[in-house]
Order: sequence, then structure tokens, then C-alpha cells
Amino acid sequence: MKDILIPVLLILLAPAIGGLVYGFERIVKARMQRRTGPPLLQPFYDFLKLADKRKMIVHSTHAFLGIMHFVSLWFALAVLLLGGDLILVIFLHLLSTSLLILAGYSTRSIFSHLGANRTAISILCYEPVLILIAVSAFMLTGSFDTSSIFNYGASLLFKMPLAFVALLMVLPIKLKKSPFDIAEGHQEITGGVELEFSGIFYEAIYIAKWLDCVFCYTLAYLFGANDPLLGMGLVLFVFLFINGLDNSSARVNYKQMLKFSLVVALPIAFINLLITILFLQL
Amino acid sequence: MKLNSFRKKSPWILHYNAGSCNGCDIEILACLAPKYDIERFGIINTGNPKQSDVLLVTGPVTKRSRERLVEIYAQMPEPKVVVSCGACACTGGVFRGMYNCEGGIDQYIPVDVYVCGCGSRPEQIIDGVIEALAILEKKTKDLEQSIRLKKEPVKEDTQLNRRDIAAEIKEIA
Repeated sequence: MKDILIPVLLILLAPAIGGLVYGFERIVKARMQRRTGPPLLQPFYDFLKLADKRKMIVHSTHAFLGIMHFVSLWFALAVLLLGGDLILVIFLHLLSTSLLILAGYSTRSIFSHLGANRTAISILCYEPVLILIAVSAFMLTGSFDTSSIFNYGASLLFKMPLAFVALLMVLPIKLKKSPFDIAEGHQEITGGVELEFSGIFYEAIYIAKWLDCVFCYTLAYLFGANDPLLGMGLVLFVFLFINGLDNSSARVNYKQMLKFSLVVALPIAFINLLITILFLQL
Repeated sequence: MKLNSFRKKSPWILHYNAGSCNGCDIEILACLAPKYDIERFGIINTGNPKQSDVLLVTGPVTKRSRERLVEIYAQMPEPKVVVSCGACACTGGVFRGMYNCEGGIDQYIPVDVYVCGCGSRPEQIIDGVIEALAILEKKTKDLEQSIRLKKEPVKEDTQLNRRDIAAEIKEIA
């Protein structure tokens, strides 16, 4: 009973937690630039304001796909937190992102199309790496289940440190942070796929962003799942690393991102898999 | 805790340059920079009319840009406010009366706040935006009020009865 209570609470409160993380992120980013920054609850103020705006939709399918993106992302997070199959989680996340891509292609806006193209490319960048990390975790623990990582004797960080390095390389792509924020690109394509959403329908996309934060930090937590203190430390490290990187780097173009991901991050994840198998043989 | 008080805490700005000389635009960008930091009021400079509340316009409206100006204004969902920024946007400035410009943006879209100056200082722009927020809140409240149509009974029937004006039918003897 108690085992199930904490994950269920986390799942129900995930948007609120994500909102707080997002608000904190904006403060940290502002302080890094020597600004005061918005208040901590700023994402929630935005949320309440967007609910007041007039609802303008392009067409009903577009709005529906946006909402389904949010729902399926929440579902993926629920499976992850309840200790489900890691491969299933990755594919559910892929499903939610592909719904967003469909929404992007369903309008006639050129920026929306560009954003959908770039989101598809960013999937190509982070998805193989995540799957290879999941496979190496399977090799160690003997199961794809997240709960088996929790029950495993040692922390994954010490068993497969290269996988954590690969994860650090792809998380900025997933969270749409600089230098890999080509999918969003506020200065070039003004948000990409989220461009045509407005009012309460943009809200779904906005909360999905917060949920993505929670999703990514949970992935980082899994590497220290055995020891909660280590897990929290890893989450804090990833948070500071990603925001520091976001503030200190400029956007690359999609070819450079693809090259970086497939030539650097993917081989690192693959070498990690080989080393894991080799150690198991010895 | 009243939900209504949160409204003016996150105005998202859309900045449009209607043929300005870039003087006012640089001052607007200075507002976003660390010294003035308008993000502490929750203000974000979005480039997207569909998600923004405040339209910040600079420059006299050149004949090329007036269609886009009206289009952008139409794309913003209500409630929305317009801040005209700088002397050119308010009155046409030094370009007033020229063949390629119009005199100010209020010839095309309704303006709520006029910010003077050539180019207007960052403090003035922040002041103008804060002023606009009060108007934004008032507009939101106006939108919320339900409209009741008055229905009064007709006191006197002013309509003509067709029987009165119809031509008489003479009996045939």
C-alpha cells in the first residue's frame, strides 16, 4: 500500500512539481545573467492568465492533438513512476512527441511545419541513445522494469558511468535547451509547433513542457535510484549543468546537432553497452 | 487568495516594428536586458501574436507595414492592449505628412497607452506597460460581465395596420 502511495501522489502532483521546477529554473537562469528574475510561482500565473484568454483554434483536430500530447506524456510519466517497462516508457514518450509533430503538420503555417520537421530530427537524435541506455540497464538488472533498477544492489551510476555521460548529452535536446533548442528556436521560428496554439490549448503544451522536465529529471534520478541522496544529488547536478549550458552556449543548426548526437553520444552509449556485456562475461 | 489578482502578473509582449528607425526598438531590448529586467514582472517578449497580451508598436506606420499591423492585431486573442511606443507611433513624429507614412498607429488600430519620447526611455516604456496592465485587467473584467438584453413592453403600437391603408373595395351595384 505504502509502495504504491508515493508514486501515485507523485503522478497526481507531477504538473505542480514540474511548474515549480520550471519557475525555479527561470529564477536560476536569471541569477546566472545577474538579473532578479520572475517570482517562483510565475508559471502558475501564466497558467491562470492563459485560461482567461479567448480560445482561438486553427481547427479542432489541431487542438485535440495538442491535448492528446499532454495526456500521453502524463501517461508515459505515470508508467515510469509506477515502475513500468523502460522501453514502453520511451515509446510512449515517442508517441506523445509524434502527436505534437502531427499537430504541427496539420496547420498551414510555415513555422509550424519547420518546428515539426525539427522536432522529428531531435527525436532521431535522442531516441537511439535512450534505448541503448535502457538496454544496458537491462543487461545489468535482467529486466526492463524501472522497479528492478530500484531493487538492484548497486547504483547504476557506478556500474555504467558512460551511460550517464550519454544521457547528459541528449537531455538538452529533449528539454529543448541551448545549444540544441532548434525545435523551439524562439528567435528563428518563434516556438515551432507550439506557434499556432493559443489560450487554453496552449496551456496543454505549456504543462507538457513542465511534465517533460519531471520526466527528464526522473531519468537522471534512476542512475542513483539505490541511494536517494545520490539520486537527488544527480538531479541537482543535471539541473545546474543543463541551465549553465543553456546560458553559456549559442544555438547550433540541425546538421551539427545530428552529427554530434550520432557521432559522439550514440557511440558512447554503445561502448557503454559493450563494456557492460564484457563485465558480465568476466 | 483571489484568482483574479493573478491576471496582470504575466503579460506577454508582442513587439512590432512598423517602420521605426530602430531607436525605440533598442530601448525595448534594453528593458529586457539585466539592467531593467522586465522579466521580474513576469513579462516575456514572445514573437507570437496568438499567445500575447500587449502589442508594443514602434514607428510611424509605413504603407507597407499597415496591413501586417492590422493583421497582427486581429490575430491576438482578447483581452489585449496596445501600447504605442515613441513619438512616431503616437503621432507620426518627424515623418508626419510624408508620402510614404501614416500619422501614427491610432489611425488603424485602437491604442490604449501612448508612450512619448524620441526614442522613449526604458523607464518610460516600463511605465507605459505597467499602465497598460491596469487597462488589461479592466478589459478582462468587462469581458467577464454578463450582458443582459433589456426587453421592454411596447407601449404604443406604431405599426400601420394594413387594413387601414388598404384601398376600399367598392361594392358592385
